[in-house]
Amino acid sequence: MKRLGYNLVGIAAALALWELAGRLAGATLFAPPSIVLVEFAQLAREGQIFAELAISLRQMLVGFGLACLIGLPAGVAMGRSRAVDALFHPWLSMFVVTSVAALVPLFVLIFGTGFWFRAAIVFVASVWYVMLTIYHGARGVEPRFIDVGRAFGANPLQTFWSILLPALYPYIVAAMRIGLVHAIRAMVVAEMFIILGYGGLIYRAGYSASTAPLLALLVTLMLVSIAANEALRQAGRRLAPWYEERMAPGEAQRT
Amino acid sequence: MTRAAYTVPLTAASLFGGLVLWEIAAHGVSGVIFAPPSAVLARLGRDTASGVLPLALAGSLAHLMAGFLLALALALPLGFAIGRSATVAAMLEPVMSAIYAVPPVAMVPFLIIWFGLFYEARVALVFLMSFFEILITVTAGARNVDPMLLAVGRSFGAGRARLVTGVMLPASLPFVFTAVRVGLVRAINAMITAELFLAAVNLGALMKQNAQRFDMAGLLSLVLLLCLLGLAAQEGLKALESRLLPWHVHRR
Repeated sequence: MKRLGYNLVGIAAALALWELAGRLAGATLFAPPSIVLVEFAQLAREGQIFAELAISLRQMLVGFGLACLIGLPAGVAMGRSRAVDALFHPWLSMFVVTSVAALVPLFVLIFGTGFWFRAAIVFVASVWYVMLTIYHGARGVEPRFIDVGRAFGANPLQTFWSILLPALYPYIVAAMRIGLVHAIRAMVVAEMFIILGYGGLIYRAGYSASTAPLLALLVTLMLVSIAANEALRQAGRRLAPWYEERMAPGEAQRT
Repeated sequence: MTRAAYTVPLTAASLFGGLVLWEIAAHGVSGVIFAPPSAVLARLGRDTASGVLPLALAGSLAHLMAGFLLALALALPLGFAIGRSATVAAMLEPVMSAIYAVPPVAMVPFLIIWFGLFYEARVALVFLMSFFEILITVTAGARNVDPMLLAVGRSFGAGRARLVTGVMLPASLPFVFTAVRVGLVRAINAMITAELFLAAVNLGALMKQNAQRFDMAGLLSLVLLLCLLGLAAQEGLKALESRLLPWHVHRR
């Protein structure tokens, strides 16, 4: 409870600081939250931002979904088989450090600027992180668990379903959370480059006389990102009650 | 030994096979859509020899290093403060994770308003993109220092300052190394992002020129260069870590 109090104090202080800085700098440089809130209500009434956001998120979810569908099994295979690891790890370490922004001009030439361009950018931005996170989880599965299963005569399929997979639940959630962070970032990178969708709105808001619309867009995006992350975390708690906070994004990136 | 004898040929075969596949795939389609690795490597060699690429790279590295060092200088102390004090953590963490949730590229319009389109804005973007990554890792490291180590230090009569320099810093060094590594890779991403989204200069300018000319080989050679740069940073720092911190067994 004391912690919650400090949390609230911190948030209140940040908002107060923002308001103060905004009042001093003026809306052209840094709109204060009071003005942003009014602007947000205005934008919400017009409704365009939610329509664009829904379209952008749908494209993002296709790319991210594909990244999970391919990244999760591939990462598990790499973590459990030394041969698969030797075959694919060099490619994984190469692609994971490649900048998404550097791929954007390339992908525009290959895919154009339509649906598949954005889905593809989101896919390549998140799949390697999903793979790498689940890979470390699969490698770290306690060998004793597997041994016990074997001693009780479990066949490979049973070992996978009843021992390996439950041990991986927390890592599946962690991999998806980390992947999602990168997927949302990539969505914005791709859309700001081609000035379409929600990213396009952000880009164009930069040319407005006031920073209030820009901040309203950013805060909306922030809330979506936090909500998605929180939903995955709750799913993780339900799926694997032993799921721990230490698997939060950032910390599990220590690869 | 036997493990290496078994994996090294597989890895080599995979890399070679991948290049061959790429070459075959690229020969089937026109050079506007895709370029074979032979053309990309030739292009990389030619542009390096002519000095175009080294010059652009040097320009890019200038804002990379400025932004990254700035981020490191601020994120390390702040990370330790958050990691070691529950009060500071409770106050700052909600705000930090809220800011972390905003994709840094979305801040570009702001950076343009505040810093313009050139060097200062690029440094600011590199700073923004690497700062939070470093902060999160260092915070985790400072928080996870084994309490046993601190207790031993205390019972041997170490004062507060001695505890920090003698126990806490060495114990969290592996995390500091990880933070530097993750932050540097992120800073390299930010370096090229800044050059593409602010005024196009250095490598970003080359990239845009090649894209406008539909010059696939040129474009891919730049992507390859950036990829190699990231790989060098990642693997170089990993090697340095195992050299400097031999007591820390890498989790790999």
